[in-house]
Amino acid sequence: MAEKIVIKGLTKEFVTKDRIVTAVKDVDLTINEGEFVCIVGPSGCGKTTLLRILADLETETRGEIRITHSDPSKPLNSMVFQEQSIFPWMNVRKNIGFGLRCRRVGKKIIDQTVDQYIQMIGLQKFADAYPYQLSGGMKQRVSVARAFANDPEILLMDEPFAALDEQNKIMLQEELLKIWEAERKTVVFITHSIDEALILADRVIIMTSHPGTFKMSVDVDLPRPRRIAELRSDPHFNRLFTELWGVLREEVYKAKASEGLTVSDDEFHDDHSRTLADESRLVL
Amino acid sequence: MAEKEPAVTQASGEDLAARAVADGAGDYGDLARTSDRMPRKRRDSGTRWGGLLGFLSPAVVLILWEIAVPLGLVDGRFFPPPHAIAGTFWKLTLDGTLFSDVWVSLVRIVLGFLAGAIPGLIVGLSMGLFRPVRWLLRPVVSATYPIPKLALMPLIILIFGFGETQKVITIALGTFFMVLINTMAGVLNLDKIYLDVAKNYGANRRDFYTRIALPGAMPLIFTGLELGMGMALLLIVAAEMTGAVSGIGYRIWAAQAVFKTKEMFVAFIMISLLGYLFAEGLSSLQRRVIPWKQL
Ligand SMILES: Nc1ncnc2c1ncn2[C@@H]1O[C@H](COP(=O)(O)OP(=O)(O)O)[C@@H](O)[C@H]1O
Ligand SMILES: [Mg+2]
Repeated sequence: MAEKIVIKGLTKEFVTKDRIVTAVKDVDLTINEGEFVCIVGPSGCGKTTLLRILADLETETRGEIRITHSDPSKPLNSMVFQEQSIFPWMNVRKNIGFGLRCRRVGKKIIDQTVDQYIQMIGLQKFADAYPYQLSGGMKQRVSVARAFANDPEILLMDEPFAALDEQNKIMLQEELLKIWEAERKTVVFITHSIDEALILADRVIIMTSHPGTFKMSVDVDLPRPRRIAELRSDPHFNRLFTELWGVLREEVYKAKASEGLTVSDDEFHDDHSRTLADESRLVL
Repeated sequence: MAEKEPAVTQASGEDLAARAVADGAGDYGDLARTSDRMPRKRRDSGTRWGGLLGFLSPAVVLILWEIAVPLGLVDGRFFPPPHAIAGTFWKLTLDGTLFSDVWVSLVRIVLGFLAGAIPGLIVGLSMGLFRPVRWLLRPVVSATYPIPKLALMPLIILIFGFGETQKVITIALGTFFMVLINTMAGVLNLDKIYLDVAKNYGANRRDFYTRIALPGAMPLIFTGLELGMGMALLLIVAAEMTGAVSGIGYRIWAAQAVFKTKEMFVAFIMISLLGYLFAEGLSSLQRRVIPWKQL
């Protein structure tokens, strides 16, 4: 398979007033065309920074990045941001069609595409609503639809489902699997949930705690098309889960230790215990 | 219900100015927050009592005034009784003076307002969006903004003489800075994530102006327009002080010269009415232009 993204020795340092923060350190990574890669790591390890560099929103301090843009008629990448990022002054339709309008696509095509993705995220009744009228989960769904509708060569997704409730999360994961299995776009997907990484990815990459470097890469050789409910009771899935958690827990504890008393971020732990609880429910 | 007293907005405007200069090198972020705290129009809940009380206080003032003059408690030469003012109002309406005064001033205000607001908007958006533009223009803006526009009037008269241009320019200057400062603050106050999204989704320069900065800064732009409107009303009176033969401001000064205080009060009423209508106009425009904001 063709190499889509090649990263060599990537380092990003942020210079703040009183110190230099190394967010990402010496990262080497090659992602192939049509590959679905999940990046997992404790919070604060530089995942967002890495993605922002790939999206050309941040420049690397050192290292080399090569991204192949094979179809000039399509945008190279579209990002789903971790934080709330849909425009408050555009209604749902306008938000989803934003990328297309920036590219001056014909109005008819925009309307069709937008309709299709509004359907996908189940917001038909809210098509003309403004973000202040939507719940947090709905807003995140709009932001996912905005990226899909833009039809980029690479989807960059930064913990897109982290803020969603369980039903919405599973629904969108299934939708993402369906779209991906049909279109085979290159996807770089960040998550702090091992469960989610295993459901979606061809390959899971684990980053070390701050400063983020690469710890290991695990191929997820679960067959496709994948069914989320079935996966969770699959013994191989569970073996992979245990293996990854073994590696990751070390980093999480390291991250906790280095954070010391200054920062407390229980996000990761909470989420993990939630997925474990879900699992046990499914197994029972 | 637009209770926007020029005096209040004026003070807030100067407060803005003071801050704008004080933080010269810094950001205008807190400036925007200042204007956020400015008196906002709040719709009364519309209870019957609210409406009744709203009529009560002016009525009481008028009645007391009417009684106080014959009793000698208020000097009728300075404060002619309401019924006499009403009479003069009627007379000036019939002979057309009132209409022509209002019309002449209205044209000056609208022209000056547009001539100030449109460039203010464009420069404000550019300064908010592009750091080099900000670096380039901020010192000039910070240095010229605090100069009271009234202080500039003699210079404007020297340059433009006593024509219409002088009046329009005076008003335009006042409006320009109000709109510029608030527009820039509105853009700078936008969460940076929206600029990232725009960039990532391929927005070009025009998109940044029309799809991001302009709509995003709209709430503060309206604050700027409201302040600019207050400024325009203040400046029209000053601008018509000299070299004018009609206009509301002219009427006030002319009435003073011949001690016609009744005409003066009629002019006050018209200015107040204009202010009210402008504020209502702006706020109904605002509701139409910013449907995305919970009011
Ligand atoms: N703009 C910035 N300026 C300074 N430090 C930053 C900036 N962005 C991120 N960082 C720091 O870089 C590290 C990695 O951040 P981030 O990439 O957001 O982590 P993650 O997404 O994995 O939680 C953190 O320590 C964070 O504080
Ligand atoms: Mg992050």
